[in-house]
Amino acid sequence: MPRMINQHQTSAARFQRRLLLRCFIGFVLTASSLAAQNPKPKEYELKAVYLFNFARLAAWPDTAGSSKSESFAICVLGEDPFGPFLDAVISGENIGGRAVVARRISDPRDAASCRVLYVSSSEETRLKQILTTLNKARVLTVSDMPQFSQRGGMIQFVADNNKIRFEVNLKNTSDSGLTLSSELLKVAVAVITSPPPGD
Amino acid sequence: MPTSVCRGGTAVALLIVGSLRILPAMAQDTRTAGEDQEVSGQLKKLSLEQLSKIDVTSVSKEPVTVARTPAAVYVLTQEDLRQSGVTTIPEALRLVPGVEVARIDSSKWSIGVRGFGSRLSRSVLVLIDGRSVYTQLFAGVYWEVQDTLLEDVDRIEVIRGPGGTIWGANAVNAVINIITKNARDTKGILATIGGGNVDQGTGAFRYGGNRKHIDFRVYGKGSSRGPEFHPDRDRFDSWQMGQAGFRADWKGPSRDTLTVQGDIYDADDGEDVVVSQYSPPSAATVVGAAEVSGGNLLAQWNHTVSGGSDFHLQAYFDRTVRHEASFAESRNTIDIDFLDRMTLPLHQTFLWGLGARFSPGNATPVIPTILFIPNQRTDKLYSGFVQDEIPLIGDRLSVTLGSKILHNIYTGFELQPSARLLWTPTANQSFWAGFTRAVRTPSRVDDEDMLSGLIAASPPTFIRLIGDGKFDSERLLSYEAGYRSLVSSSIRFDVAVFYNDYDHLLSIEPGVPFAETSPSPTHTVIPYFIRNGVLGTTYGIEVAPDWRPTSWWRLSGSYSFLHMDMGKTAGSHDSATPASTEGSSPQQQAVVQSSFQLPKGFEFGQTYRYVSALPAKQIRGYSTGDVSLGWLLGRSWEVSVAGRDLLQPFHAEMNGDPGPVVGIRRSVYAKITLRD
Repeated sequence: MPRMINQHQTSAARFQRRLLLRCFIGFVLTASSLAAQNPKPKEYELKAVYLFNFARLAAWPDTAGSSKSESFAICVLGEDPFGPFLDAVISGENIGGRAVVARRISDPRDAASCRVLYVSSSEETRLKQILTTLNKARVLTVSDMPQFSQRGGMIQFVADNNKIRFEVNLKNTSDSGLTLSSELLKVAVAVITSPPPGD
Repeated sequence: MPTSVCRGGTAVALLIVGSLRILPAMAQDTRTAGEDQEVSGQLKKLSLEQLSKIDVTSVSKEPVTVARTPAAVYVLTQEDLRQSGVTTIPEALRLVPGVEVARIDSSKWSIGVRGFGSRLSRSVLVLIDGRSVYTQLFAGVYWEVQDTLLEDVDRIEVIRGPGGTIWGANAVNAVINIITKNARDTKGILATIGGGNVDQGTGAFRYGGNRKHIDFRVYGKGSSRGPEFHPDRDRFDSWQMGQAGFRADWKGPSRDTLTVQGDIYDADDGEDVVVSQYSPPSAATVVGAAEVSGGNLLAQWNHTVSGGSDFHLQAYFDRTVRHEASFAESRNTIDIDFLDRMTLPLHQTFLWGLGARFSPGNATPVIPTILFIPNQRTDKLYSGFVQDEIPLIGDRLSVTLGSKILHNIYTGFELQPSARLLWTPTANQSFWAGFTRAVRTPSRVDDEDMLSGLIAASPPTFIRLIGDGKFDSERLLSYEAGYRSLVSSSIRFDVAVFYNDYDHLLSIEPGVPFAETSPSPTHTVIPYFIRNGVLGTTYGIEVAPDWRPTSWWRLSGSYSFLHMDMGKTAGSHDSATPASTEGSSPQQQAVVQSSFQLPKGFEFGQTYRYVSALPAKQIRGYSTGDVSLGWLLGRSWEVSVAGRDLLQPFHAEMNGDPGPVVGIRRSVYAKITLRD
C-alpha cells in the first residue's frame, strides 16, 4: 500500500491555518460559515481533476526548443463533458513553469500543440483516424472509450462501481516518448506493456 | 429540462420509466463558478490514490454513500484494518461505535450492538459478500469461523439499528456487512508470515491474475493462537484454523458483471464444555476442541438496464459442520436472492426484491441431555421487500418508505415496515431520522429442543430448558435520528441517537417439577420453558468524530452511551433475564485512535479503548491500548509490529463460557508482508 507523505506542503499549511480558525468557532458550525464542499463529486468533476494530475505526473521528452512562455495545453477533442469545471481545476496552475490552459478542439490536427488530449466519446467512430493523425506526437491521450488503451490510446478511465479509476498502456506512452511517474502507474488498475495479440 | 417532463408523469409512466434517461449535467447543476473552484480545490488536494477511492454520482445509479444514508452507518476501510493491526474480524469491530466486543477466550467473542451482547450475537445480521452467516440453529453468529484474508477485505459496513427494509431476517439490532475486494484489485502475489506470544503463528498466501476478461484470486491462510490467561491454569482455549478460497470476477462488454467465489475452512477451537449425564447422574467439565469446518460457494450476477436501473441475482450454498463434546450439527443452506432497482418519475429510486432460503440441519445427539427433536429439520424462509426513496425537495429532502414481508416455518408471516427521512440542508451536512419495526424470528434452539443440566447429584435433579414451539418472534419498534457533518475536508463528525422499544423478548419461565424414570435412575426435572416474557426499552447516543489535522496525521474515535431498562411482563416469572441483560452490556465505551504516516515508509498507530463495567458478569470496567508500527520497504515488502491490550498483563472482558473468567493477555505480534 503506498503511503501518503506530505505532498502539498503549501496547501497543507494553508489548510492548517483555516482549520485552527474553525476549531475556535466550534464544532457545530452554521452552514453559512462554510465554504461549499461537496462530499460526492460528479463523475466529470473527478475526471477533470484526474486529467490535471495525469498532466502533473507525466514527463515529456526534453522540450528545449519550446520557450517558457508557451502554455501547457490540456485539450478536449469533440463534445466537452467537463464544462467550466475543467477550467476551474486548472485555473492559476503551472506545470514546469508553464501556465496550464484548457482548449476545446474539434480537429485532430490541432492536437499536436496539446500536452494532454482528452478524446471525447463523441469521437469514437473516428478514433483510428485521430490516432493516425497524432502519429506518435508527444501528446498524452486520455479517454473514456471502452478498449481505448488497447486501441492505441494511453490512459483509459474505467468505472469501478461508483469509483473512477484508469488503466494505462505503457507501450503507447513510451512509443511517443512520454514517461509516467510511478505514483501514476501504482494507482492504475491495469498497466498494459505489450501490444495486443494480432496487432 | 427533463425534470419538468418527469413531474408531469402519471402512474402509467412507472411502467415505461426504464427508458427514461436523465442527463446528469442537466439534473441539478446549480453551482456557481466560485463553488466549482472550491470543489476543485478540495479534490486537487487529494493524491491520485485517494481520487481513485472517491465515490461519484454516476448516470446510471445514485450511489448511497455514507453521507447520504438515513441510518447510523460506520465504515471500516482497508486502511483502518491495516493500521489497527487486528488479525480477526471481531477485533476490528471494536473500533465501531455502538458495537460491544468482549473476548470470552482465545477463540470466542461476545458481540452486541446497542446492547444484547452474547456469544452468538443474536439479532445481528452478518453478511460476507452478501452471504448470511447467521446460524439457524442458535439464532446467532459463530464469530470464530467468520474469516477471510483481511488484506482482501475492501470494507466492513456496520449499520447500527434495524437495518431497514432490504436486509434479511433478524437484522434487529444491526447489520454487519463484510465486503471483499473485486478480484481486479487483488492482482499479484501477497504473502504474509507472522508470529507473537498469543497469535503464535500465522501465514497467508494469495495469488491474483486475469485471463481474458476474468479476474481471479486464490488464497489460503492458517493460524495458530495460544491460550489466554487462566487463573485455574486450565489452558483449554488454543485455536488452530486453516482456510482457503477463491474469487473470480467477470466484467461483460457493457452491462453485466458476474462474480463467483467460495471458501472452505477447518478449525479446532479449544473449549471447556459441561457434559451432564443421566446415568450415572453427573456433570463434568470436558476439555476438548470444537471441530468446526465448512464451505460455501456463491455466484452473483449484476445487470445494468438502461435509464438508471439495475438488478442483482445471487445464489449461494453454505455448509457448516460443528462437533463439540456435548452436541453436533451439520447444516446445508441454499439461498437465492433477487434485487431490482429502478428510477421512477420525480427521481424516485424504487427497489424490490425476493429471496428464499432452505436450510436443512441435522443435530444428531452426542449426549442424551442435549436433544433437538426431531434431529433433522429444514428451516425455510421466504422474504420479499419493497422500498421507495422519494425526493421531496430536490435532492435536499427525501423520504424512504418500505416494508419487508417474510414467511418462516415458526411464526408464519412477519411484516417489517420502515420510514426514513433524510435532510441535507447543505452539501456537507445531513440530518436523518428513522422509524422501523423489526422482528427476530425463532430459531431451532427456541423452538424444539431439550437442554438438561445436572444441578444436584443426590437426589439427582436436573434443570431442563425446553423449547416447545410456543416461542413467538421478538419485536422491536425503533426510533432513530442522526446528524453528519463534513465540517471541513479534514473534519467529519457523526452523531446518532436512538430509542428502542422491545417487546416479546425471550424469557425462561419455570414449570412444575416432575419425576422422570427413563433413563434411569429416576431423577427430578425442573423444567424451564422458552417464552416471550421480557420487554424493555433502550436509548443511547453514539458520537464519532474524525479529524485529519495534516496530511500525515489522523485522529479519530468514538463514544457510545447506552441505557437499558428491561423488565418482565405481568405473566412472567423471569426476573433474572432482564437483570442479566441490563448488566451484560457496557453503559459507556470510548475509542481514541491516532495514526501517523511518517517519512521513509513508516506508519505508526495508537488506539486507546475504554469499556465500562458489566455488573451482571462481574466484569470491571477496563481501559487498554494498542499500538502498531508498520514499515514499508520499497514497493514489495512491509514489516509490521502490533501490540494489543498493552496497558495490563491481562484483563477480563466477559465471564467464562463456562468456567472461571479468562484474562485476555497483553500480546505482541510481528508480521512480514510481501506484495509482488
